[in-house]
Amino acid sequence: MADKESNKKAAESLGISLIVSLYNFAESVESLYDSVVAAMGEIGESFELVFVDDGSTDSTYEKLVTIAQKDTRVRVVKMRSRFGEASALDAGLRYSKGQRIVYLSGRVRVNPREIPKFIEVLADGKDLVVGWRFPRRDSFLNRWISWVFNVLACRLSKVKLHDINSGIVVTYRTVLEKISFYGDFYNFIPVLAGQQGYRVSEEKIEQLPGSFRKSRYPKEYLQRLLDMVTVFFLSRYSKKPIHFLGFVGTVFMLGGLGIEIYLFIYRILQMGPIAGRPLLILGALLLVIGIQMISIGLLGEMIIFTHAGEIEEYNIEEIIN
Amino acid sequence: MSSEEKVFISVIVPFCDERESIPLLYESVKRVLEGLGKSYEMIFVDDGSTDGTREILKDLSRRDSSLRVILFRRNFGQSAAMAAGFKVSRGEVVVTMDGDLQNDPDDIPRLLGKVEEGYDVVSGWRKDRKDKLILRRVPSIIANRLICSVTDVHLHDTGCSLKAFRREVIEKIRLYGELHRFIPALARVEGARISEVVVTHHPRRFGKSKYNLSRTFRVLMDLSSLNLFLKYLRNPLRFFGKIGVGFHFLGLLAACWVAYRMFVNKVSLIDLNVLVTSIFLLWVMGFQFLFIGLVASLIVRTGEKRRITLAPFLLYRNEGRDGG
Repeated sequence: MADKESNKKAAESLGISLIVSLYNFAESVESLYDSVVAAMGEIGESFELVFVDDGSTDSTYEKLVTIAQKDTRVRVVKMRSRFGEASALDAGLRYSKGQRIVYLSGRVRVNPREIPKFIEVLADGKDLVVGWRFPRRDSFLNRWISWVFNVLACRLSKVKLHDINSGIVVTYRTVLEKISFYGDFYNFIPVLAGQQGYRVSEEKIEQLPGSFRKSRYPKEYLQRLLDMVTVFFLSRYSKKPIHFLGFVGTVFMLGGLGIEIYLFIYRILQMGPIAGRPLLILGALLLVIGIQMISIGLLGEMIIFTHAGEIEEYNIEEIIN
Repeated sequence: MSSEEKVFISVIVPFCDERESIPLLYESVKRVLEGLGKSYEMIFVDDGSTDGTREILKDLSRRDSSLRVILFRRNFGQSAAMAAGFKVSRGEVVVTMDGDLQNDPDDIPRLLGKVEEGYDVVSGWRKDRKDKLILRRVPSIIANRLICSVTDVHLHDTGCSLKAFRREVIEKIRLYGELHRFIPALARVEGARISEVVVTHHPRRFGKSKYNLSRTFRVLMDLSSLNLFLKYLRNPLRFFGKIGVGFHFLGLLAACWVAYRMFVNKVSLIDLNVLVTSIFLLWVMGFQFLFIGLVASLIVRTGEKRRITLAPFLLYRNEGRDGG
């Protein structure tokens, strides 16, 4: 119990910065601001609130400026054009001072009233807390696809979460500095943190009704899937690409070799012609692909070897003495 | 002890779930190092243990300032643990050993003796191994043969964790992935002089061995890329190009044969379908290897300025060192 208390004390000495990324959000900026302030009021700690306007084309920025003029705790960062959420978060980090970060995405509307619960969990000895939208209030299709995406991501990364992209992340600045979430890896922040050995947990949070994003295009789903493959590959094999590519390549090559040997024996025993058989082409192509994968794996090894001095593959929690 | 202060010897021990061994290992290493009469430090790296190893290490380090402890956030593997140990170490000589008590710290002075003789890397040789014959020793012997022939580092036992390095070597070694098995070979890339010393080996006292046969494939793969680094780092096109030209040559041979059958034996091209297809495939592969080789040389070139400056042999400097 004493440990818990001291944890809490230590956490409180680190200021809280709330970072909110917004895009074309004019109609509900004020209500968002009100509920965030109300929620933070419950904790009674001082905080700063950084709104990042990610190149909105409506009056979001003007409304934010009005808020900032009334409230000195509010800072507004305006991006020159739309750079995406990862850049918005990065900009927010740069223009905030707190060591504890609460990041809210304007894309997914979760109830800011529940922020105190997240901060409490963080003080309980977690390094990163994400939301789990419950109950979800978007369309059936969205929900279903999101479910598939989450299950896949969690299987691949062995991080057990229900909702990796809920639009709320509560964590320490040091954690976000350690993981590189830039580009489209933004969607995988909890997964990346888990792989670095940080203690990740989740909390249920209410999704607000009424404001969903319009349906996505199939192209976007494909992109997300490819991002996932990248995250998986980079996190597991970035230091040993040959272990993955070499394995798959060897399997292909052995398959191709098996087919060709079978056909060779078939031909030698005069059991019939093989020239017209599709199996012949399959075997040959499998051999080609297998060899290709292995050589690309070797290429990957060369890249890593020449740059190995720059990447640190471990994450030290503490050095004593 | 300030963190910049140099010491004579650093002993790095990676641990992963070795709760029972730590106190014993600590005592014996400490005793040996005290006996040397030189400045020393011990670096114990916890590679994400979950069995209370961390607490024991923390506890020990509070009482002894010569024991430095690195705690990982999770398990990152033995190579990472060693790399982290190397990074924080300050010793002029760095000794690595296993955390399972199978290595004997009493061998450290003899390793040091070899380093004093002028070798950059001194590896232990477990001449009398105390492991299961079929599961551990036979694979190890085969792997050792293979590693020796590929890497051209002639040691009897490259798998022995008890090794001593001169500071200059560990600062150059690129240790990552699962390459801790090949540290002597990696050191050779940097031009180190390598020797070995017979060491004692004890049977395992606590816990279970973490090695298994399924690693063979990964070791083989690592070995193939190590081969590339060792022999072709200067010009990878020589490696890929050789294979590419080989494929082209095979294709050419096949093409000659097809031409012979066509024009001399008057066989129609359709009946030579299989051969003709394989000619094309061989050529495709040949070109591909050539291009991959070109890209590889591009990669090496981008890293060259910083990394690929091989100091020939590290000269032994005898400044103010008067034997161990």
